[in-house]
Amino acid sequence: MVYLPPPHLASETRPSYGETYARILATHRRSPTTSASSVIILVAPDVDALCAAQMLAELFKQDDVMYRIIPVSGHAELEHMKDELATYSDLHTLILLNMGSILELPSPDWFGDFDPRLTVHVIDSSRPQNLPNLFGGGENGERIIVWDDGGAEHLQEERKAWEALTYEPEPDSDEDESDFGSEEDEESPEEDEDEEAYEGGSPSGRKRRSLGEGDSSRKRRRLERRSARMSRELRAEYSARIGKHYMSGTWHGQSASGTIYILATVLERVDNDLLWLAILGLTYDYSTSRISRDDYDKYHSIYYDEVARLNPPPPASAAADYDFKPQNPDDTSVYASDELRFTMFRHWNLYDAMYHSYYVASKLGIWKERGKKRLTGLLAKMGFSIPETQQPYSHMAKDLKLSLRHKLDQIAPEYGLVELSYPSFTRCYGYRSLPLSAADAVEAVSALLDVAGGVRMEIEVEGARNGGEWFGGGHVWNGGRQGRRRDEERENIPPGGAASVVKTSNALATIDGKEDGDGAELQWWVKNFWTAFDALNDIVRLREALPLSMALHRAIMRQGSSIIDKHDIRTLRGHRVVVLSQGPDLALFAHPGVLSRLALWLVEALRDRLQGTQVAFSRSKRKSLPLVLACMNEKEGTYIVVGVMGALDFGDVRKNEFGLAFLDARERCNARTRHGSFDTSVLEIQKDDLKVFLETLCERH
Amino acid sequence: MALPPPLRTSVTPAELELIACEQLVDIIPLVAMERTAFISGAYGPLRPPAKCKVPIWMATNLKLKKKCHIVPPDWLNVDFLQDRLTRETSQPEFSELPFRFAEVAKVILDVASDDISNPEKVRSLLQDIREARQAKSRDGVSKLDHSELSLPNLCAMEINEIRPFFVRSMGVLTQLVRQPDPGRMDQME
Repeated sequence: MVYLPPPHLASETRPSYGETYARILATHRRSPTTSASSVIILVAPDVDALCAAQMLAELFKQDDVMYRIIPVSGHAELEHMKDELATYSDLHTLILLNMGSILELPSPDWFGDFDPRLTVHVIDSSRPQNLPNLFGGGENGERIIVWDDGGAEHLQEERKAWEALTYEPEPDSDEDESDFGSEEDEESPEEDEDEEAYEGGSPSGRKRRSLGEGDSSRKRRRLERRSARMSRELRAEYSARIGKHYMSGTWHGQSASGTIYILATVLERVDNDLLWLAILGLTYDYSTSRISRDDYDKYHSIYYDEVARLNPPPPASAAADYDFKPQNPDDTSVYASDELRFTMFRHWNLYDAMYHSYYVASKLGIWKERGKKRLTGLLAKMGFSIPETQQPYSHMAKDLKLSLRHKLDQIAPEYGLVELSYPSFTRCYGYRSLPLSAADAVEAVSALLDVAGGVRMEIEVEGARNGGEWFGGGHVWNGGRQGRRRDEERENIPPGGAASVVKTSNALATIDGKEDGDGAELQWWVKNFWTAFDALNDIVRLREALPLSMALHRAIMRQGSSIIDKHDIRTLRGHRVVVLSQGPDLALFAHPGVLSRLALWLVEALRDRLQGTQVAFSRSKRKSLPLVLACMNEKEGTYIVVGVMGALDFGDVRKNEFGLAFLDARERCNARTRHGSFDTSVLEIQKDDLKVFLETLCERH
Repeated sequence: MALPPPLRTSVTPAELELIACEQLVDIIPLVAMERTAFISGAYGPLRPPAKCKVPIWMATNLKLKKKCHIVPPDWLNVDFLQDRLTRETSQPEFSELPFRFAEVAKVILDVASDDISNPEKVRSLLQDIREARQAKSRDGVSKLDHSELSLPNLCAMEINEIRPFFVRSMGVLTQLVRQPDPGRMDQME
């Protein structure tokens, strides 16, 4: 077997996470050529993978394993990285986080030609998984180990289909099918168990791990008889099943950080830090609509028990006012709390938090004047006057804070805001800082990942609104302490080299967004990754990043409301299309991460206003809200296109079928496209091909 | 490191900490290990959950990798330190404390504060004790006499602090005592 069942499904013959981890350690310790490049972790650029990488790094550090973390932004870069990895002779473990699940890794395109000592571990939350990865056997296939969350157990049918199709030759056309059809049916039930235990010996003669000669010869004869009779119908049925597996769209399973947390539990080395990172991964998945509310609740209850196990119970007073206070200077415990759906409401004022939250925005129709009035009306009904709501949360009156939740429960249902809070967690940081909730931490880290560098972001200084103290609304975000470090580099200019150094530092000065070509482009992306990675455990940097996240929300809000105001949404045969070609924030939205957020915002905003439709290329009959968002990247002359499949109910997710639809449409209209990230529903297309592409996307086929 | 001139020739606190880490401390290991030979001696075997005595440097290393729990020494708790603090503040002499208490306490509080009960109180008590003893040494230094050579119950860090000044001033004082002022002898005649 090359997929790992989770520990609760493991048995003696089926090793699970713990044993595989022990294998990694053993290989590392025993191999004579172990060096710093023996264990390499490739990480995709999302918060979940980041958390998983940090957790894995922590576990490796405790076991004295030398590892390297390399960020990879997309498939193209993965190929590039693969070529480079082929030259590392001492590499024996490769771990892919949140990537590679859909790629056929045993094939020669990827890792098929690598050294047989290399094992590739795939810890990926995206589904569907590639069947050769899961079920491919033999020396080549067994190097690929997929850490599964139990979902693969349900793929037995697909497994049968895949094995039948891969290992059986083409059926002969002049076989008498009807005669042997009934015999085949009798034989097939008992063959099923045999097939599971016996992965090979097919007449095609591939090199296989054999399970004993005596048995194999008898089974081979039976298999030969059976294979010769595999009818066309059966083949068609198998192909259809496999097709269904791949083409029903992309969705997500257990988060990568959740998988690593389970590993840590098996090793009995969990502590608050690992638990917090796992919580962040889960919250990220939920807040970006990768998993549905039900899945979130399922994982949440597990983490809730863990929090109760590892932390002292919160003091009774905390439950009353939801504001946890650290009990002592070193208190770094995690508490369960209810999170309101107002984005970062503890960090800016109440009005802004409600204004910028997806949920409230959609229900109240915030982008119109009428909606804004409704919001102020709601706040007034709750007893908050306008100046009070403009106060930063930390300066808000104490009794207002205490009564906030209570009043919300009472009054908000009138406006249709019913599910305002969801259960989540908060972490205390002793006396160094106020407690930070999981949702806020995720916002901060993902803002760092998306826009810490590479784009000019103006953030607001607290209290500087309406003129404020210094007449300035804000300042350019310069990465907090990091920005200051950049100035020091100018001191070290060698004499005579001043001109060239200045030019390089200008190229690297990503604050102004003046990237010149791909070299600098990669730079800013990698820098963002490491900035976010460092901030994961550092409360000071997280807090510094919160204003950045707020600026991002503001930009999304501006753009989103202008789109809706201008009625820019066209409906093309069942799905909505928005093309952004001008606007103040165009450079900002040319980044796939930010564009995806905007798409999610639009889906949320329009959920109640537009009817669900059935998309032309969709295979399911369920209605959903498909949305295609395209934004122009002026510098490169391309459009970044993002496709999102929104669900009709809040808290539900649909499988995203845009990945396949995009590929399909591209084939048909020969557009020049490029996939920039691991998400197949995001691609980059040449300016001129956009129109044709969008039209082919919605043709029925 | 830029130290003031008097301290440049003496031992630094970090070095004192290193020396103090040779002391043995009790741990509750979480992993098993055979009796292994190190440069300073052979330690082990580690058989969880039985306690074992290992040097502090090894205990720190294991603790950082989450492979053991450190059992704080019996003087590192609130009651003992509170008692010593009251003695410090009530009596003019230095109270009795383990010789390298400051270094050991620092290391254990840094690495294993979750193994100590009430670590903040312990930290504040240690701070108070240090301040009380520092006040006493300051007074003592002003009363230096060429024949006063016994300083009971002074601890390693404190000795290190006074050492440069003490050595030089004792040297000068002895010289002064051996050669009384020639001017005065003339006057007496």
